[in-house]
Parts: sequence; structure tokens; C-alpha cells
Amino acid sequence: MVYFILKRMVQSVFVMLAVAFLAFSLFRFVGDPITQMTGVETSVEDQERLREELGLNDPFVYQFMRFTGDMLKGDFGFSYRTRQPVAEMIASRIPATLELGVVALIISLLVGVPAGVYTALKPRGVLTQTILMTTLVGVSIPTFVIGIMLIFIFGVQLGWLPTFGRGGTVQIGGWESSLFTIDGWRALLLPAITLGVYQLTLTMRLVRAEMMEVMRSDYIRFAMARGVPTASLHYRHALANTMVPVITIIGLQFGGVIAFSIVTESVFQWPGMGLLFLESIRFVDIPVMGVYLVVIAFFFVLVNLVVDLLYVAIDPRLRIRDVS
Amino acid sequence: MKTLKLALLGGALSLSAMGASAETFRWASNTDPQTMDPHAVNSAPVLSFLNNVYEGLVRRGQDMSIEPSLATSWAPLEGENGWRFTLREGVTFQDGAAFTSEDVMFSYQRASNEAADVRSWFAPVSDVRVVDDFTIDFVTTAPNPLFPDSIANFMILDKGWAEANDAALPARDAENFATMNVNGTGPFTLASRDPGVRTTLTPNANWWDNVGHNVTEAVFTPIGNSATGLAALLSGEIDFIQPIPLQDIAQVEGRDGFKVLEGEETRVIMFGFGHEHEALLYSSDVKDANPFADPRVRLAAAHALDLASIDRVLFRGKIDTASQLVPAGISGFSEANQDRPAFDPDRAKALLAEAGYADGFSFGLKCPNDRYINDEALCRAAASMFAAVGLNAELSTGPVRDYWPQLRADDFDMYLLGWSPGTFDMEHPIRFLLHSQDNDKKLGSWNFGGYSNARVDELLPQIQQEIDPAARQTLVDEVVAITQEEVAYIPLYTQPLIWAAKDNVDLIQRADNFFMLRWVTVN
Repeated sequence: MVYFILKRMVQSVFVMLAVAFLAFSLFRFVGDPITQMTGVETSVEDQERLREELGLNDPFVYQFMRFTGDMLKGDFGFSYRTRQPVAEMIASRIPATLELGVVALIISLLVGVPAGVYTALKPRGVLTQTILMTTLVGVSIPTFVIGIMLIFIFGVQLGWLPTFGRGGTVQIGGWESSLFTIDGWRALLLPAITLGVYQLTLTMRLVRAEMMEVMRSDYIRFAMARGVPTASLHYRHALANTMVPVITIIGLQFGGVIAFSIVTESVFQWPGMGLLFLESIRFVDIPVMGVYLVVIAFFFVLVNLVVDLLYVAIDPRLRIRDVS
Repeated sequence: MKTLKLALLGGALSLSAMGASAETFRWASNTDPQTMDPHAVNSAPVLSFLNNVYEGLVRRGQDMSIEPSLATSWAPLEGENGWRFTLREGVTFQDGAAFTSEDVMFSYQRASNEAADVRSWFAPVSDVRVVDDFTIDFVTTAPNPLFPDSIANFMILDKGWAEANDAALPARDAENFATMNVNGTGPFTLASRDPGVRTTLTPNANWWDNVGHNVTEAVFTPIGNSATGLAALLSGEIDFIQPIPLQDIAQVEGRDGFKVLEGEETRVIMFGFGHEHEALLYSSDVKDANPFADPRVRLAAAHALDLASIDRVLFRGKIDTASQLVPAGISGFSEANQDRPAFDPDRAKALLAEAGYADGFSFGLKCPNDRYINDEALCRAAASMFAAVGLNAELSTGPVRDYWPQLRADDFDMYLLGWSPGTFDMEHPIRFLLHSQDNDKKLGSWNFGGYSNARVDELLPQIQQEIDPAARQTLVDEVVAITQEEVAYIPLYTQPLIWAAKDNVDLIQRADNFFMLRWVTVN
């Protein structure tokens, strides 16, 4: 097991290096940081000096080596735009993104799993058809449209929930959390729903398909014949077996939720990593973009690792193979 | 579900609480000021924001006129070129330190240093001398009547504070103390700063001037997405937003309790040409010549544009057409030359035929798509108007971060540019857009097309040095006449300035798009 984790860790370093390399090879096409950093009146001569100072005239490979070398030493550099340390900037934005992602995931599970079970058990019900239709519409509409719609309905028309930002946050040892105030939860609700809609639909459909499959299997029929109570049959015997593949898929999707919360964060002005990344693109803030992409790659690798471990923990057959 | 109910209940509670604290003023804009250091970056979001915290020797009033600030008066030096500033006595910085000429001297050295992005303001300065605690001389290399106007955004830092906190120079690579902290003399001081998220200002109780606002706390939030910004205003979470897109005007006006503030920015939008190009880069039919080198072709392009339709369709009637590189009302505006080429497709075709392009030709038109209001739509409309007279524009648009490098690399046949005169004087666009490119003298640095006219080059220093306003205007008039005659650019219109606020907020919309908290009253 230790060997397995170590192996994945080493792999993750290579993944991150590859991402950094790809990112750097693209940065040359993102635009010119100097014209974004200086005012209109700055002379061409001063711009050139700044370009030289920042090492932007160096060959691409050299710039990449310097970036990775500094990263390995733990030096993440300074933002071109704000001159702040990049590590600090990204670290301060991680809690917002993670909380948003986790709450979105929880909402999608809390709604998606029961809905999946219900639609599987009553495949011809009117409610089932309604749920299926609604969620289909939900995944078909782009995220930012859903976000804007929710904002205008609940924020502007009804005035129930805030339209942007994180609301009240609490500092807990460097972690800025919105989970401990009502204001924080109110601000979190709409973006989490927006971000979770796709996950919710996916979870529901997965649970529904798996559940229908399981309900047809022999052991369920046998249990039914034996007179096992319906509730126990559905939730203890059927649902438990449904969850193995669901957890795998949802877990793998979670990396994507974190990485692609950019759109949701932009619509709700949610101060997470995604929003920071968008601002960085606008200002060609290469150090921030580079570190962000590497951090996201790390998240992906980490989530995949956790899912692999979960899978091993859930399915005994994999454990036996690993030991041998 | 329980959480949802709780949340909704909480919503109702805090909504009713919101009305009570009316003097906390919340506003939003699309860009966060990237630093709190007034000398590090010469960009409008930074200078606009910091003008609430720091002050200069002079400042701009509600109508953009120059008025005393930290200097009470100024006069030309006797016997040499330059200006003597008499400083205000009894002013203290927000940390309590007294303001003296040493602070001005220090700020000059800081702002004119290589590490400062604002150093171009001091290019004409040859020497600065402290005369006494409240008198300071700025010596210039040549007579410079506009110098006091040109340093309205030159903000004064406290020498002792900056040196004690290792911020004697603006941050270049890493941040320093002044990137996140302030110590100005202005009406507001920084209470908290979370870059890109929230910045809070509170009034400076010891401000020297009469307080004209009733704000007890001001909270600034950058909101990049314009739909989100509009929703934040309409839901009452913010009191004011700058700017809003043209298409949202109706949304705001259609609701009780909100208002739209409309004005003219000083930014003139124009088309520029590749004057010095040997041949067109993007033409499919004219390979070895540059038709735009011929003023008749440039004039034809100007006559092809129907600005009335552009105004009606794209700008909802909000724009004023422009005849020259500054709008009316800016000093140096040439009233003698305020006609622009009329929409006249027949004349355009005739001019093209005269120039030997009766069948027209194709060329490349470059435009940004995120820099000016409706920039991409404007270029599409212009391209179809050009096409109607035979000028087939191959339009390519892109974000501004790619756009300037392309223009600097001469990668265009025709391009779109907006220019706001930083000094609010005609001399500014002459220096940057009309004078021949000269990197050594730092002239013509935004004259991408390489327009060059010896007489204009000759007139610029005269305009810069002429003290007598009437004589100066004659010189400016000549430049405007020459560049209109030669169609150096096609000035199109002045960009509109659209802000939105709650009805109970009174504020001043200044033409430089700066937002000054000291003029805000919340009723």
C-alpha cells in the first residue's frame, strides 16, 4: 500500500511538470505582460528595461527551467500585477474554492442520491418524469446562464440571497471559512447550486441506472421472495451495492469541480482560485497562471489517488490483489 | 432543507438591517486597483482609487479644472524655467506626521525613479530645490506652462513613513509596505485591504479641507462580470457601480430607486493607418502598394462612415462625434477646425477613383474586443460601411493584451485606438499620437502607424513652451488643420461614460472617469 501511494506521488510530480511545461509553452500566446503592467505614458525604453528585468526576453526553455527550479525550491515568485507573493495569493483563495466545491458536492449527493433512488423505484411516475426533464434542462443550460438566472430570481427579484461574494467569513487559523455564519451560508447557496447542478444530474442518473440494474438482480428478487421489508430491501441491500461505482465516478468528477469552478466563481464574484486565474489571464500575470495550473494539476492527482484508495477500501477483491 | 429555511429567514433579517446603516457606502467597479502604491503603476483604476487617500500639490475639481491642494499657490520661477509651489501649512499625514517640502522632494525622487511607472511626468524636470519648509521649486528644461496641470495625479507620500517601512522606492519585483498600506493626506484612509476581494476606506478625521461627504465607511468590491455587477446594484447590495454596459441602461432606468449617470469621457475613439508601410499586409488584391499612404484614400475612408447610424444602432444615441483627437471643452480644442468629414459614400467613391482605386481594394482592420465600449461591434459596422464604397476590410479582433503587441509590431493596415489626454490638453495626443516616432526623445510612442509631418514635429515644442494662451492656440490650430487635411487619423466620437447608482446617492461624475468619494452624499 505504501509502495502504491509512493508510486502515485512520484507520478504526480511528472504530471505537474508536464502541465507546467504545456502551460509555459502557451503563455507566449497569451499576450504581453509589459503593456498590461505599465501605463500608456511609459516610454518604450522603460518598457524594454522592465522586460529585461523580468527575464521575458530569455528563451522559453530557460524561462521554464527557472520557473520549475524556483518552484522546487519552494519559491513561487511574485505576481506581475500586484507584486504579492504568488504562494500567498493562491493559498488565500484555496478555502473559498474548496468550500464551494465541497458544498456543491454535498448538495449534489443529498439531492441526487434520493432522487436517483426514487426515479429508479417509480420509473413511470409523473414526478419521475418531471425530475428527469428538469435535470436534463439543467445540464443543457450553460453554467453561467444558470448562475445569472439564479441571481436574478433569488437575488434581484425575490431579494432573498446575496448576488455576489462570500458574505460573512470567519478566520480559523489562516483558513477563511464561510461555513460558520448564516451570512456565509446564504452567500454560498446559489454558487454551490450552480456548480453542483451538473454533478447532481450525473449522480442521479448514475444511481438510477445502477439501482434499476440491482433491483433486477437475483439476490434482490430472492430477498423480496423471502419477505424482507421494502425499506430495508431498497436502502440496505440495493442502495449499498449501487454506491460503489457512484463513489468512484463522483470522486473523479470532484477534481473537475474544483478545476472548473472558474465560471461559477466569475458569475458570483466568488473570491476563489478560479476568479484569481481569470484576473491573471486578463493581466497576463504569468507567475500566477503558472502556479495555479500546477496547483490544479496537483489537486487532480490527489483526488484520483484518494478515489483509488477508496476503491481499494470498498472493494475487497482489489485489496487481495494488491497484497499478492 | 432545514438549512435552506434558516438561510431564507436570515435573508429577511439582514435585509431589514441593511437599510439602517445608510452611511456605509458600497461601490463596485470592474477592475481592482492592483496596488496601493501611487507611484508604482500609472493606470486609471489605481490613480482613481488612490486620489481618495493621497493628494497631490494640485488637484482636479468637479469640472476637471486645476485647483490648489497641498500647494496653496504656484507661480513661474523668475530668471529660469520652472515653477515655484507654496505649500499648505498645518497639513498632517494620516499617521500624524507633518507635511513639509521634504515630503514633496522625497515623493519627487521616488516617483521619478526608474522603478516608478509614473516617471514620464517628470521628463521635463531638470532640478527640484527645497527653498524652505513650505516652498519648493521645480526647474524645467524649457518653459512649461502646463507643468502644474500635468502633475495633478502626482501624489505625496510621507518621507519618514516610507523610509521607516522600507518603501523608499516603489515595489518593482516583490511587494513592499506601500503596496498594501497607505499614509496619505487625503480625505480617506485605508481600513482594510483584501486584493481582488474587498477594500475598505474610512474618513480621515484630520483632513485639512471642508468635508463635503457623509460617508462613514466606504467598501469597494471589484466585480469583473458586468451582469453580476448589475444584479448587485439592483438587489441593493451595492450603492453605486462604474461603469455599466450600454445595454443595461434600460434595466436600471426601468426600476424604481435607481438612476443612470451619463456623461462624456474625454476618450476619443479613432481609426489609425499604417502610414509608413510600404505595402498592405492583409490585402488579397493590392500586393505591392499601400493605398493608405495617399491622403485621398484616407479621406475616402472617413467619408464612408455613417456615424449617425452607428450612434443610433450601437450606442443608443449616447455618443458625440469627434472632429479631432480631443473632445470640445478640453484645453487646446481647436474650434476653428470642428467639422468632421460628413457621411458621403459618393464622394468616398470619387476620391478612391481619383487615387486609382475605382474598384476598391481589400485590407486588414485590427480591433480590440475588450478595451472600449462596443469596440468589436463598432468595427463590424465600420467594416460594412467601408465595404459599401469598395474598401473591403478584413476584420480581426482580439483581447487588448494581444492587441498592443500587434500594433507595436506594425501588424495592421488600419486599426482602432482610443485616446484619453492624460493632461487634459491637446498637447498630450500631439505628443503621443501625432509627433513622429522618436524613442530617444520619448515622443510619438503611440503613433503606431508612423504618421510624420515635419511641421507638426516643429510645432510641438513651441506648443509646449508657449505661455500666451492665444498664441498657443494658434499653434495648436495649425497642427489640427494639418492633421485633418492629411487625415492622420479618423476621429470618430467621444466614448460615453455610463455609471449607475441608487437614487439616494448623490455623486459627481468627472470626465476622467475618476470616482471621488469626497463628493458622495447618501441621503
